[in-house]
Amino acid sequence: MTYEEASSLPSACAMTHVGITAPRPALGYGWNTTRMSECCFAVLSEASTFCRAMAGTLSAATLPAVVEELLSEMEAAVRESARSTGRRECVAALWVVDLALPVRKARVPDEHLLSLKFVFGSSAIQALDLVDRQSITLISSPSGRRVYQVLGSSGKTYTCLASCHYCSCPAFAFSVLRKSDSLLCKHLLAVYLSQVMRTCQQLSVSDKQLTDILLMEKKQEA
Amino acid sequence: MAEKLRRVLSPGKAAGPGEKNAAEVGPPLLLLGGPGSGKTALLFAVALEAAGDGRGPVLFLTRRPLQSLPCRTPAALDPLRLQKIRFQYPPSTHELLQFLCSAHETPGPVPSLLLLDGLEEYLAEDLGPQEAAYLAALLLDTAAHFGHRVGPGQDCGLIVALQTQEEGDSGDALHLSLLQRYFPAQCWLQFDTPGAGQCCRRACLEPGGQGPRAEWLMAFQPDGEMTVTPWPTQADDPNSNKCSSSGGQP
Repeated sequence: MTYEEASSLPSACAMTHVGITAPRPALGYGWNTTRMSECCFAVLSEASTFCRAMAGTLSAATLPAVVEELLSEMEAAVRESARSTGRRECVAALWVVDLALPVRKARVPDEHLLSLKFVFGSSAIQALDLVDRQSITLISSPSGRRVYQVLGSSGKTYTCLASCHYCSCPAFAFSVLRKSDSLLCKHLLAVYLSQVMRTCQQLSVSDKQLTDILLMEKKQEA
Repeated sequence: MAEKLRRVLSPGKAAGPGEKNAAEVGPPLLLLGGPGSGKTALLFAVALEAAGDGRGPVLFLTRRPLQSLPCRTPAALDPLRLQKIRFQYPPSTHELLQFLCSAHETPGPVPSLLLLDGLEEYLAEDLGPQEAAYLAALLLDTAAHFGHRVGPGQDCGLIVALQTQEEGDSGDALHLSLLQRYFPAQCWLQFDTPGAGQCCRRACLEPGGQGPRAEWLMAFQPDGEMTVTPWPTQADDPNSNKCSSSGGQP
């Protein structure tokens, strides 16, 4: 695995698009996760370059195919480990250095964690931390409309829209929208991870309260 | 003609003339063009076509009420179709956001198509990039919510028209690139040849990776009728008379 081979990844990703109406489709072809792990070891420091290359070619409203496949595989692994009798221990040497305890609780294979870090850089660790701390709340109303709220590390609550990529945090406005530096902010990534790992708090509110929550975002920015 | 127009703006459908896959509406589409390029007329034609589909009503959001019907085809004069188009006129960005945020509260039949004309007028209220992104994201979220309410596998279409300036300034460019991130499919309306082709527009559809790029020629007849033909086949000779549908366009 050479850097040249790894840097050919973004252009291949640009060829596939994922429709916004089907966030987790079955992909006909995709990336072998073992190959991705090899990529991680080889070019781990180039994560931000990878993100920039991918973000430049693809729209923010849809997740790149490699990310979709990664999330699908993680989802399958979580389902698999839920069915099996014992919990799968997953500790990767690389992760122990970064953040030891929460990773051991996660029932996700280490190769997926490595792939996450490769794609998202340091946001991946922060996002997993948010998931472990149960900071994500899914707010739903009787109408069926849903919105996510994430309690950030600073204590502020940010609102994330479930159907498209939007987060009210300043990092999203800066890194994702303005500079195209990142694909997702850590809160959005935490939302997707909590969907995959099926751990998030649930809150039911009335329709009127949901309207107020959605409108509050506008007022907060003003 | 109208069916072709709908298929123009529903790149997810690869159906032949006889088939109609009602569930496939394609990704949200951004309709772009300069002043007077026929965006409102095209939006209205899509609204009429969707109204005749037998699915839910069509929501047409615009800042100012339409002064006249943009195109006077027989379909336009069908009162049953017109009844299925619900017009809303949010006067400001705040009202528009209020409408979108409370869309799940309104009872009654769920819309099958959401159209917004004149997004630039709402963006012109000095919106920062995050607020503009929020408006775009809310539009997508509202359409997704309508789709979920109708049933699994059903979608609510979303088409937003945005007027672009001939000479783009930096503010416009920033908004445009931001919107393009949320709207993967775009359709550009341009004047074909300046001057001589006052009644002809060139529509370039870029479905955002889900289909090939396609182009059409839109011609407006003096009586207001709009015909759409694939490019580069020429339609009937464009008349040199004044285009009567220009009155209804922003």
